[in-house]
Amino acid sequence: MSQPMNSPSPQATLPRSQAEIAARVKALESIMIEKGLMTTEAVDRFAEIYENEVGPQLGAQVVAKAWTDPEFKKRLLEDGTKACAELGFGGLQGEDMVVVENTDTVHNAIVCTLCSCYPWPVLGLPPNWYKQPAYRSRMVREPRKVLREDFGYDVSDSVEIRIWDSSSEMRYWVLPKRPEGTDGMSEKELAALVTRDSMIGVGPTSRP
Amino acid sequence: MRPDATELGDARRRVEQLLTELPGPGSDAEQLSFNDPWELRAFALAVAAYHRGLYDWSEFQLALIGAIRRWEGEPEREPWGYYERWLEALETVLSGSGVLPGTELDGRTAEVMATPRTTNHHEAHREPVAIDPART
Repeated sequence: MSQPMNSPSPQATLPRSQAEIAARVKALESIMIEKGLMTTEAVDRFAEIYENEVGPQLGAQVVAKAWTDPEFKKRLLEDGTKACAELGFGGLQGEDMVVVENTDTVHNAIVCTLCSCYPWPVLGLPPNWYKQPAYRSRMVREPRKVLREDFGYDVSDSVEIRIWDSSSEMRYWVLPKRPEGTDGMSEKELAALVTRDSMIGVGPTSRP
Repeated sequence: MRPDATELGDARRRVEQLLTELPGPGSDAEQLSFNDPWELRAFALAVAAYHRGLYDWSEFQLALIGAIRRWEGEPEREPWGYYERWLEALETVLSGSGVLPGTELDGRTAEVMATPRTTNHHEAHREPVAIDPART
């Protein structure tokens, strides 16, 4: 059903690939912004109202399940897309999700080097800063410093930091460490501790 | 609690008021769901454009109804997609008010599509792109 990308499409009903239609929406927004008819902030604002319909609470459920079910965690790290599908989470932009696990010695964080590839089905829309070139370039160059200075998040010097580049073919996200003092908590209680930033790798989980 | 939570709630109620008069899933805001980022973006763009006074909501409503009817009348239809019709309606009202002339959007879309294709962007990157080693 995909169209050659340079074919003219005067009729809106010509079948279009999802990539083309996503590009069309982006193009429309950029034209309106250039003409001074719209601001990104105005569109962000209305998107934000509905952001929670698709937000990171889904990823939080996946994380909480991985914390409580070792077999699920194993499957999640082996094949993120397949394991998320067990919970009914998936779809476009969720193909080839790779979940990277934080440990006592390794901290992971994600960037997209070119645009804003992001595991939409589990994290929702990427925040604006994630889409800024500054985040990407500095995060690759000096991640420890960016985490501390921009996000107020200190990663211990004894921990290696790995930065993963999401592309349209492979989208990374982070399985944070289960917080201390959460023994005996239910999956639902644990999910409430999982923040979006902790799954991007730029912030901690909440304290119980 | 975010400081503007009430304001957001008010904005949401205003948007939902608009949606009650629309056909499709929009008529029940509880059912509103987005399967892809562009859908939410197109949704927000239409609401924001209305708030900027670029068209009357009734115009958008009619355009959306028209787009859905046209899809229903096509002999060989593409698979159903609510937000495809939503985008079509948005393009219709923006063209109607002279904001979006002719083929400008087609041209820009091709530019957007071409951008990632000139890079290695759709290759999978299987190793960390950067490592900051432990220091102790």
